[in-house]
Amino acid sequence: MRAIPPSDVLFAVMGAPHASDMTTSVLRLTGVLLERSATVQVWTCGYATMLTHSAHDEHKPRNLIDWSREHPSTSTLVRNLLRAHPDRLHWYACRFCSEERGLAGHIPEVRVRPPLRFADHVKASRKTIFIGRI
Amino acid sequence: MPQTKPERTLAIIEQPYRGSLETQFADVFYLLRELNRQLRGMDVALRGLGATCALQSDRRVELRVGAQAIDVLPDQERSVRALLDEGSSVWVEEPDLLALGATRDRLIEGVDCLARGATLLRWPNYHSVWFI
Repeated sequence: MRAIPPSDVLFAVMGAPHASDMTTSVLRLTGVLLERSATVQVWTCGYATMLTHSAHDEHKPRNLIDWSREHPSTSTLVRNLLRAHPDRLHWYACRFCSEERGLAGHIPEVRVRPPLRFADHVKASRKTIFIGRI
Repeated sequence: MPQTKPERTLAIIEQPYRGSLETQFADVFYLLRELNRQLRGMDVALRGLGATCALQSDRRVELRVGAQAIDVLPDQERSVRALLDEGSSVWVEEPDLLALGATRDRLIEGVDCLARGATLLRWPNYHSVWFI
């Protein structure tokens, strides 16, 4: 099994998107930490696993009121961060939560992990920030 | 009681903010505008934190994720103005404004400011009242 890269911060993201500022906070904080040369890992559980659903297109569905404007999907936002920082950002999704919620799969850049390995990710990180309610 | 059968629907919004980066244009106001189009008209009561959406603001709705600037975020003020343009009535109750430290002079033009409890008195005027 591939070793877990050590990181400065682990975001354990538990809550559902489209309900609060959770998603925005995680993505913004991740971006800022990476700009400051930190190493970051993100672990999603519950409906947060939907953030990197493989069924997402590059863009959200069209805005019926503003048809020509494109809106990046969360999978695209995560992928852009991962591609910009391949050695300092790692994104994981909980297998149990993904399967329980019927996710067909994640974008290839995201690694699916068994929930029994969560503690290993906490150990591999200097600081864990738990955000959202599962 | 009203003399004719009510046709319009009242939407009560108490939690207007439900995310930015994942939601973008598809926020609760996007739903309201579509419901207003499909139904026989929809009016909106902004209660509690919802009252924040009734206020004028000069803030710029943009943020960055890493190197990527995102300027397609929810813009509640623009959405409320659009609802008004599309025929909806929008109001707040003054105690909700005061609780936020705001006053009626900061309201978006066209948003009504009602006395405490006035929303309840309007319920019989509506076919349905939905908490959205």
